[in-house]
Amino acid sequence: MASYPKDVIRDLIDGKLPWQTTKPIMSDFKDERRFEIYLEILQERVPWKERILLPVGEHLYIVEKGAARIVKCDCGHEFGPYTENWKLEALVYVRDDERSLDEIYPGARKCDPGWMELREYYCPGCKAQLEVEAVTPGYPVVFDFVPDLEGFYRDWLKKPL
Amino acid sequence: MARKPLVLGIDAGGTMTDTFVVDENGDFTVGKAATTPHDESVGFLESAADAMSYWDGDGRSLYPELEVALYSGTTMVNTLITRRGRKVGLITTKGFEDDVLMGRGMQSWTGYSYSDRIHAVTHVHPSALVDRRHVHGVTERVDVFGEAVIPLYEHEVEAAAEELLADGVEAIVVHFLYSYLNPEHEQRARAILAAAIARSRRGGDVPVYLGSDLRPVIRENSRLNAALIEAYAVAPVRTQLEKVERAVQSRGYRYPLQTVLAYGGLCNIRYPRLHETLISGPVGGVMGAKHLSALTGIDNIIVTDLGGTSFDIGTITAGYVPVEPEPVLARFKLNLPTIAMENIGAGAGSYVKVDPVTKKVQIGPESAGSTPGPVSFGKGGTTVTITDCDLVLGYLNPDYFLGGKQKLDKELALRALKEQVTEQIGVDVYAGAEAIVRMMEREARDAIRAVASARGLDTTQYTLFGYGGAGPLHLAGYTEGLDFGGVLTFHFAAAFSAFGCTTADYQHRYARSVHLGLPPGCDAPAKLAVAEAVSRVWSEMEEAARAEMANEIAVAREIRFTQLAMVRYGGQLSDLEAVSPAPRLRTAADVDRLIAAWEDLYSKINSRVARYEGAGYQIFELGLLASVEKVKPRIVRQPLGPAEPARAAHKGTRNMYWKGRWQPASLWEMEMLRPGNRIAGPAIVEHPATTLVVPDGKCVEVDEWNFFWLR
Repeated sequence: MASYPKDVIRDLIDGKLPWQTTKPIMSDFKDERRFEIYLEILQERVPWKERILLPVGEHLYIVEKGAARIVKCDCGHEFGPYTENWKLEALVYVRDDERSLDEIYPGARKCDPGWMELREYYCPGCKAQLEVEAVTPGYPVVFDFVPDLEGFYRDWLKKPL
Repeated sequence: MARKPLVLGIDAGGTMTDTFVVDENGDFTVGKAATTPHDESVGFLESAADAMSYWDGDGRSLYPELEVALYSGTTMVNTLITRRGRKVGLITTKGFEDDVLMGRGMQSWTGYSYSDRIHAVTHVHPSALVDRRHVHGVTERVDVFGEAVIPLYEHEVEAAAEELLADGVEAIVVHFLYSYLNPEHEQRARAILAAAIARSRRGGDVPVYLGSDLRPVIRENSRLNAALIEAYAVAPVRTQLEKVERAVQSRGYRYPLQTVLAYGGLCNIRYPRLHETLISGPVGGVMGAKHLSALTGIDNIIVTDLGGTSFDIGTITAGYVPVEPEPVLARFKLNLPTIAMENIGAGAGSYVKVDPVTKKVQIGPESAGSTPGPVSFGKGGTTVTITDCDLVLGYLNPDYFLGGKQKLDKELALRALKEQVTEQIGVDVYAGAEAIVRMMEREARDAIRAVASARGLDTTQYTLFGYGGAGPLHLAGYTEGLDFGGVLTFHFAAAFSAFGCTTADYQHRYARSVHLGLPPGCDAPAKLAVAEAVSRVWSEMEEAARAEMANEIAVAREIRFTQLAMVRYGGQLSDLEAVSPAPRLRTAADVDRLIAAWEDLYSKINSRVARYEGAGYQIFELGLLASVEKVKPRIVRQPLGPAEPARAAHKGTRNMYWKGRWQPASLWEMEMLRPGNRIAGPAIVEHPATTLVVPDGKCVEVDEWNFFWLR
């Protein structure tokens, strides 16, 4: 079975692996310890101590804080329980008119703000952009991902959560 | 008297280099050695020495006696795949500079395994052979009728040339839209480039390639790819071929080295369109089958080649070998008529893996190659391969693999198989090994079925040829349940592709796009106009062929021309290549005869009811084959002897595992079997380079040509 050194997984996370190396990894069966090593690398990079259970975005992680499982940004800002949408606690900037859309998609490339708007979510702590939604005006805030943490750890990783 | 060797055929595959030394009577010896990609002449010499070591044994050098040495290898493909070619510049029609980056959509997934094809996340365009900064657009335009609607802006060509030369490019390709209809702009650009190159301080060492020269055929992207590949990858190949040529000549061989063209013919290694040798590996087998077909009268054949890395399938219908006009190579689609072959990535060296989550067993598409090779080679290979399973099951003789040169370690294979596969899925190691082998054979069988049904073939009318080093070993397995007219293999199965190469003639092929139509019920003057246009193109091609071949073949021999026309019914999307019954079309009746010849072939391939005269006919491409006959092996028919093989051929018995139980198989030496002999299974017939497994209930019969029929 395939297994890769930690350096390779680190380069994979950072997008530094050349395509000739990446493609066989993508096409092969998932290496047994990938998730474990992946979490190890992420854990080494964050300045706080809570255990990462699952990454949920480029800057966001579900972490174990006491008895609770919360969403936390890599800067340390905490959003609250992972079963609730973290976006409701984030800063939001909505591009819903010609002028603001034009900054991103100039001229004819932009969408019709009557049909679609862009919602940008930022971390209140470090102001990093966390997510962008492209939705029709009035559409509820999208809840991207509620993972089945218990099932994932029990059935797939075969480890206690 | 010592036998005189005639032809030395070499086929450098991804794993092994096969060599074939043939004498005038068609008797031959086979050599094998590992392919050495860094310098192919090393592997070639070793393989040739192996083949020669079986020759008469008087130890003399055979090289001075050879009439032909021919070579087909993987260097050009490797140069392409590893992107180690030349620094190429491209001058193209302004506005089309990005064509090299965009390519064709299918190039982003072609050559992938099935699972990668359906997972778009793995799709990626092959990186371009030319750096986008070295692509210069110049103003010019030839339209779809071949009229120059915008003249060539010569100062732009000059500026582009200066810049490319200053950037240090090693070759320049000129590719303009519709240049196959009117090459004037490309030719003018070449003259300007020649002057610029002569002026530059680098002197005349930058070759210029024109799309219209290399392949004056419709389809812009494929023509561009063909020209780029010629410019990019041919130089290192020529170097390799010259190394091989020097190696044989320094040992006494007297002639230039020959190589094999994708559509089945030979050319000198100085051939100006050497990219046409790109796909020559599997082609050898089809040429060999075609030769045997003419000899034995078996004219419907499905050929199957099971080697170390892949399983290749080709067909011959009524002696006709289908040509794929636009194949994909190294993930580039190019205009290069090639013998149509299908293949799957399953061979004897294919890796066997178990999905850790689903416990599903997967075979290939990756394979071990010659180094490190299967686990049982003991050369550091750690992943189980099909060969390891074959060994564990008793099909392979651990002391007679490659005639005993490669000892196989059964214990090593058994341990790896247990650890990596059978313990993972919780089955007995032997039952598991057999299931894996049968699974690979089923994949091969499904591929044969797919080819037969895609090409509309009734397999009962066909004879299956099975060859390749591992072909005879799995022949009974992969043909089981398929209803063929006959199943045939050869004692030279391991070198069948190399043998095929020795049966080819010197050949050049020319092609040009045209646009000629014969509407339904058209009158004689219309046909006459077509006749004139066709004849003119054929004459021009013959002139070109005479000029080129005169340079190539030292001995003045007669050139035989075969005129070809790619014809289709009006409105169809693909055409079929017909051989013209007459060298020129002079009258309306000549045109009718050409169409009749085409329609006859069309109905043989697609059935008679598929004819549709009411649609009229179109000719989009004309071709010419120029061949010069070459000495060939002569396979001799022998009288049939007794069914009982000679006592000396019997080597004992070995247990083999088949259909879930161990059974004692009688063991035979293949080279000692004679025409007429018949061996009932379970039996194993061994040859230094291959092994034929005859299961219980089957038998093998040697016919008058010394071919082996599995019945």
